[in-house]
Amino acid sequence: MLEIKNLHVKIAEDDAEILNGIDLILPKGEVHAIMGPNGSGKSTLAYVLAGKDDYEITEGSILWNGEDITEMDPDERAAAGVFLAFQYPIEIPGVATMTFLRTAMNAVRKARGEDELSTPDFMRIVKEKAKELGIADDKLKRPLNVGFSGGEKKRQEILQMSLLEPSLCVLDETDSGLDIDALKIVADGVNKLRGSDRAMLVITHYQRLLNYIVPDKVHVLSHGRIVRSGGKELALELEESGYAEFDEAAA
Amino acid sequence: MAVEILKTKAEQGFADQLKASVPVLPGADVPWVKTLREAAWETYASTGLPHRRVEEWKYTDLRTLLKDAYPPAPTLAEALKAGDVDTALGKGLADFDCHRLVIVNGHYRPELSDVSGLDSKVEIQSMSDALAAPTDWLRETLGQVNREESDTVVALNTALMSGGVIVRVADGAVLDKPLHLVHVAAAKDPASLATRNLVSIGDGAKATLFESYVSNSDTPVQRNSVTELVAGDASEVHHIKLQNEITQSAHFTTWMTRLGAGVTYRAFQFSIGAALARNQLFIRFAGEGSVSHVSSAVLGRGSQHNDTTMVIDHAVPECESREFCKLVLDDDARGIIQCKVNVHRDAQKSDGHQMAQALLLSETAEFDSKPELEIFADDVVCGHGSTSGQVDEELMFYLRARGIPEPQARALLIAAFIGEALEKIEQESLRENFLELASVWLRGEGA
Repeated sequence: MLEIKNLHVKIAEDDAEILNGIDLILPKGEVHAIMGPNGSGKSTLAYVLAGKDDYEITEGSILWNGEDITEMDPDERAAAGVFLAFQYPIEIPGVATMTFLRTAMNAVRKARGEDELSTPDFMRIVKEKAKELGIADDKLKRPLNVGFSGGEKKRQEILQMSLLEPSLCVLDETDSGLDIDALKIVADGVNKLRGSDRAMLVITHYQRLLNYIVPDKVHVLSHGRIVRSGGKELALELEESGYAEFDEAAA
Repeated sequence: MAVEILKTKAEQGFADQLKASVPVLPGADVPWVKTLREAAWETYASTGLPHRRVEEWKYTDLRTLLKDAYPPAPTLAEALKAGDVDTALGKGLADFDCHRLVIVNGHYRPELSDVSGLDSKVEIQSMSDALAAPTDWLRETLGQVNREESDTVVALNTALMSGGVIVRVADGAVLDKPLHLVHVAAAKDPASLATRNLVSIGDGAKATLFESYVSNSDTPVQRNSVTELVAGDASEVHHIKLQNEITQSAHFTTWMTRLGAGVTYRAFQFSIGAALARNQLFIRFAGEGSVSHVSSAVLGRGSQHNDTTMVIDHAVPECESREFCKLVLDDDARGIIQCKVNVHRDAQKSDGHQMAQALLLSETAEFDSKPELEIFADDVVCGHGSTSGQVDEELMFYLRARGIPEPQARALLIAAFIGEALEKIEQESLRENFLELASVWLRGEGA
């Protein structure tokens, strides 16, 4: 279970507070959506969960399975099961995708007390999952994300997510830059990972993604706070009315 | 006059060396050789060691950096076995499939070399033998390939050269394996080495020349090695260098290269060792339609000083030159890339581009980049670029968010950075060897 309690966050080199008092409970087995306008703090929440050190937590806590993860390094959080699918996946020239995947998988396995994968096992697992996501073999040989289209990069994120077997998945605007076909493939990939041992936080600006990844709950984020929570129908309501009322309410 | 110019201990030391060595150097009783050495000596004596006010040497002031001139290595090299050469090369390179020519302390050692299977396609001769009985070809070629008369280090080499190899690849010959010139430093006491190689690649021939510079002892040397290379028309030459000296040594190598018409020349230099290194490449396009691609990778830490200086002469039209350099510098290491491209008046349709990139791992590491373009033709495409920076924190976060611990993520990014240069090596087994050397260095075990 993810428990976010009274979370206040500012940019490390700035005084401006971006999140001011977030409370959220996300049990395992559930998918929650965070929706909100630009600048509401959605991406900040995603980064803070993953441990990016550009941000400073001034108050509150983040508990994952009862353990406070706020002092943990990003790689320790990954080992503990936290996975952030980036809104803008990063290109890494000179690092072959396969090398990267193998390094990451073995690092996480080692930290979790599991054995490293043998080369044939690793190859088999990667090729199988890549095929499901429609990722061609030659993309796995190329440097990570270099020259990939927006859709290809998002598929790589989901591939990594399925390989690292996280228990808390945070998807930051996974739908941005995707056409409808790519969106379906990515959503299928995510839905396959839904399960009773896994919690998912889907961050999105638009309701569209939630047609394909149907959430158990929807939370509306505005000016760094959750201003409303509800069932999946809340997303449809927002699609109709927009975010204006929350902006005013919070302001 | 020379007495006034030679101010420092090292400068005077080289002068004393020459006086002492003249009678024992190869070709001492050959007038042509004597004249050659005397002319070179005049060049040195009139300027002394280059210093910071000499533009080409502004970042590598030898008056400051060279404290002393070591005495010449003994004429007869120490007893060395083939196994010792393997040890000096290290495991990966010892197994490298090649025709091996071993040069110990500047002297060619046929008994340590293995050139079986080369037959009539390739002629190999010891430089010291050749200087003692010079042929007309040698007289016309040595020191004439790409003349850099004003370069002091080359002049010192000519004045003091003790040996090396002459390699002549026949027209049309296609070599099945690389020629590997193993330059081993194996001195018991600190010594200076002056090696001179001359390589001629025939018209239409294809050859890979790999020069490795390694040590067989912990004794520092001052190495001055010059390789002159003539590439005949329509030849394809791969010229690769590994500098893995011990970190107390000084290393000066100069490649003087002349390319005929329609030549493909690909050079790569990988530098890891030496306290002080200067890698000079002087490349001249002498025939139209040729291509020269030079890449280099430098790994430096501690107080290592590594200077790569290139001069590319587009003397004729329609040639293409590329220079691509990557440096990883840690601690107080200093890296220098100077690359001057001269496009001569009639060299229309010249195409030249250079890029130098440094990754600085500490606050005190320093990178100096000096691109120079001198263009006298009007229809050319030339460009240059240079970057320096630290390990990208966004990339670091991405890798760490995938569970890769900080030191491993950093090492992966540094390896990726230098890997972009090493990928330019087309010979797979050498590329693999170099990647392994780089990863050893990254683990902190290398030079």
